[in-house]
Amino acid sequence: MFEARLLQGNLLKKVLDSIKDIITEGNFDCSPNGLSLQAMDSSHVSLIDILLESEGFEHYRCDRNIPMGLNITNLVKMLKCAGSDDIVTIKCEDKPDNVTFLFESKDNDKISDFEMKTMTIDDEHLLVPDQTYTAVVKMPSAEFQRLCRDMSAIGDTVHISVTKEGVRFSTTGDMGTANITVRPNPSADLKDEERTEVQITEPVSASFALRYLNSFTKATPLSPTVTLGMVPNLPVVVEYKIADMGHVRYYLAPKIEDEENGGAIEA
Amino acid sequence: MQQKNLMDCFFGGGAAARSKVKAAKRDSDAGEKEDASANAGAGEPKFKRLKKGAGGDDGEVSVARGSPEKHEAKEASAAKADVPGPKSPRKEKKGLSLKSRDTTSAKESKPKKTFGVGQKSIAAAAASKSFDAKASATWKTGEPVPYGALAEAFDRISATSKRLEKTEIMMETFRVVISTTPEDLLPIAYLATCSIAPPHEGIELGIGDATLIKCLSESTGRTEKTVKQDMKQEADLGKVAMMSRSSQRTMFQPKPLTVRQVFQDFKTIALTEGKDSMDRKKKIIKKLLTSSKKSEATYVVRALQGSLRIGASEQTILSALARAALWEKGEVDAASDESIASSEDAALKVMKKVFSECPSLDKIVPAMMEHGVADLPNHCKFTVGVPVSPMLAKPTTGVHEVLEKFTDTEFTCEYKYDGERAQLHYEGGKLKIFSRNAEDNTEKYPEIRTEILPKSLRETTENVVLDGEVVAYDRETKQILPFQNLQRRKRKDVSEEDLKKQATVCYFAFDCLYYNGTSLLQSTLVERRKALREACQEREGLFFFATDKTSDDLDELQVFLDDAIEAKTEGLIVKTVDSTYEPSQRSVNWLKLKKDYMEGIGDSLDLVVVGAWHGKGKRKGWYGNYLLACYNEDNEEYEIVSKIGTGLTEEELDVVKKQLDPHKIDGPCSYYKFKEGSRNEPDVWFDAQVVWEVKVANLTLSPHYLAAFGSVESGKGISLRFPRYERTRDDRTPTSATTSDQLQEMYENQPEAGASRGNGGDFSD
Repeated sequence: MFEARLLQGNLLKKVLDSIKDIITEGNFDCSPNGLSLQAMDSSHVSLIDILLESEGFEHYRCDRNIPMGLNITNLVKMLKCAGSDDIVTIKCEDKPDNVTFLFESKDNDKISDFEMKTMTIDDEHLLVPDQTYTAVVKMPSAEFQRLCRDMSAIGDTVHISVTKEGVRFSTTGDMGTANITVRPNPSADLKDEERTEVQITEPVSASFALRYLNSFTKATPLSPTVTLGMVPNLPVVVEYKIADMGHVRYYLAPKIEDEENGGAIEA
Repeated sequence: MQQKNLMDCFFGGGAAARSKVKAAKRDSDAGEKEDASANAGAGEPKFKRLKKGAGGDDGEVSVARGSPEKHEAKEASAAKADVPGPKSPRKEKKGLSLKSRDTTSAKESKPKKTFGVGQKSIAAAAASKSFDAKASATWKTGEPVPYGALAEAFDRISATSKRLEKTEIMMETFRVVISTTPEDLLPIAYLATCSIAPPHEGIELGIGDATLIKCLSESTGRTEKTVKQDMKQEADLGKVAMMSRSSQRTMFQPKPLTVRQVFQDFKTIALTEGKDSMDRKKKIIKKLLTSSKKSEATYVVRALQGSLRIGASEQTILSALARAALWEKGEVDAASDESIASSEDAALKVMKKVFSECPSLDKIVPAMMEHGVADLPNHCKFTVGVPVSPMLAKPTTGVHEVLEKFTDTEFTCEYKYDGERAQLHYEGGKLKIFSRNAEDNTEKYPEIRTEILPKSLRETTENVVLDGEVVAYDRETKQILPFQNLQRRKRKDVSEEDLKKQATVCYFAFDCLYYNGTSLLQSTLVERRKALREACQEREGLFFFATDKTSDDLDELQVFLDDAIEAKTEGLIVKTVDSTYEPSQRSVNWLKLKKDYMEGIGDSLDLVVVGAWHGKGKRKGWYGNYLLACYNEDNEEYEIVSKIGTGLTEEELDVVKKQLDPHKIDGPCSYYKFKEGSRNEPDVWFDAQVVWEVKVANLTLSPHYLAAFGSVESGKGISLRFPRYERTRDDRTPTSATTSDQLQEMYENQPEAGASRGNGGDFSD
């Protein structure tokens, strides 16, 4: 059987809010290491990878690997019933038809439980490799959110290029073009999470659909910083670390640049 | 220039995603090779699938084109076919098709068509014999049929204009499916007929272009603007979908589409309703588009639009289905090529009849797989609750013509009521009302269920199917009211209040198709009328039998026709008394005789509005003229037949503008046939949706219009003289509009045209 008790139940809400625009259903995999989920959007352009490690839970028990297919939309609806300070416990059998969610209020004066039907979701497990990124940018998540929103007011594709000097985001739309460059700021006055850092072994640039990036920034409440990892011609990873718990990562396949999109690559 | 080797995704399948316009024009072989090499070259995948996919993840699938011997056989058949026969090509095509028409009439203007076994079908028989279905499969026995195999068959079907070849290709595909994965036959049959359920269930696809463009742009990462630009150039969203090179790479190559998955997805799309239903539909469509390879996207998009446009009619698919089952179930008499051809021919007739009486693939396909084709009539019968398409009448130009056509035959006349055709299916206290398109109209006429039928059915009637006309009727003055009163009625959720406000209706029954457990489709009209009177009784103001008269006296008939007009009906339907009920047939056993057209072509036309010109002067702000098209069943195309501007009141101008505007499109659809650059190009084009009933003085020939082009005189099409708008036909779909074949027939039957051809009578009064 599987049982996990999470003191900050609010965290679960935030995690689901960060994916509900992208997928409607998904297989949560319960394993002794923790609770994880991998899923692609219907167009197979982006991939979500969530890990909530067992250590992050107050209590965690998982005897064997259990896939838990859940409808995300319904799950979000159900979690709305939990107070923001509630403690959440998730329980199910080895081959579950139902998953039980238990919400305990902080003062222990109210307990609610919900049973949700599971569904069989036919998807493949996808192996996401640990990649050595040629460029890694760490920046405040709120700033990244703002940046994506501003960019999408102008165009629908963003070209990201990372050099030693910084990260340049550019877009083109009907009304014109926009460029935003973010520079590493080594100032000692700033806290770690307010700082922008760039580590690169070689410059990288690629274009991405802003629609997806904007959905990714729904994870902003999970973490004060966001990390972008890039390798030439491979998907970008956008990672939000959840303190003491794990991460929400999004992979996004780049766009093919051609005359249609005003890009440069046309050999 | 070839940028194709850039991986379109990061794993699996390599660069198998859709290719760009230019790339699509490559020799397909080279394309496949390149795909394959890209497949191999996609090596060093950074991302891996953990679980092994359920087989056939990669690689292209297609129905193999049969053994080499078969190829030869096919060539031989083609060679034989090239020998000019006694008939003209157009006629020959018809003779072999399933659309058999009764030619017993004395005044059939066309040459008689031979039925049964022709040269071509004998040659085809030889090919069918050597076809090894199992060996031609590109998937393993028992595995789900890949959608790619079907798409490839569709490609080949669209590539030929010969109906026989189309049937052949479809038949081979069906045979392969039957011999490997028979459970996929039903979904394939539905996908090939571009439907997802029997018509009376009312479940239809039909996603608007705007939604499809959105899905396409989101799944390929192209902007809507560029998709629309392509759309302008190609005028076919299906093609645009195929040629849209994805500018967005994917994370993992999606699994190839299977026939059953696509069918299931279509069904889900059609059934999805309620909150966010559009978003949920779009998600499924995007998934389908992302997973589509090569031409799959074309057919996914076209199916969602509601028409495959491969030039294979339902009849073609059905005959392919019957023949495929015949071979795979070993029902063929393979003694000689002739015997094969004749057993195939028999199977076609059985299938055609069974489908007309029981138009449900859900019933036919499983029964056919279990019991074979020959035994089908014993397992799929006409039943209460499954409507058949109504039997239709042919137009005539006057009493003379009727008398001439029915020489030596006993016939009877009935008033032709001007209302809405309705088939009533009653059983065990429950009633369903079906329109001529098998739409469920039960809710539109609640009073038939609550009042009319309970009062008129006799107590001994347990179940019955009636054919008749719902007519607006004033119960106080006992007068029939104009048809328009029915159109003003609400279609759904009709409350007591509404009923008081709306015109009252009366049901005029003229036929009985089923009575107390027995199908009467094979019974004669005399027997059916007897059953009708046994099942029901007349009730003043609610339920009448159609007024009829049996006579073969010219003057008496003329008087009866005048009476019919006096009684505010459209005229007469003349029926032979010993004819059976022929569902969906425009039979020569039923003739219609309308007053208005005694001099003209005998009937009004139902035409599709495909364009309009902005109005000037008095009509400023509305449309001034409209462009009309008829439907060509063979090519699934709309052929421009005339402009029209008269007959509309100011109120109607306003109504039709509101009706038409939502169907505005940027340019003509690729399946609109019109003379380019001529004065026939309107200011605004419409999607083929709205059907108008139009009255005309007569038909003429014109080089500017392409309806039935060249069929009467080379270089000329048929057009209308003095067309006048009559009304909008909500009960007609564009594909059930007047066809080019019908126009041609009407043209030839016109008194003046007929006279000049030497086979018409003297119709001058």
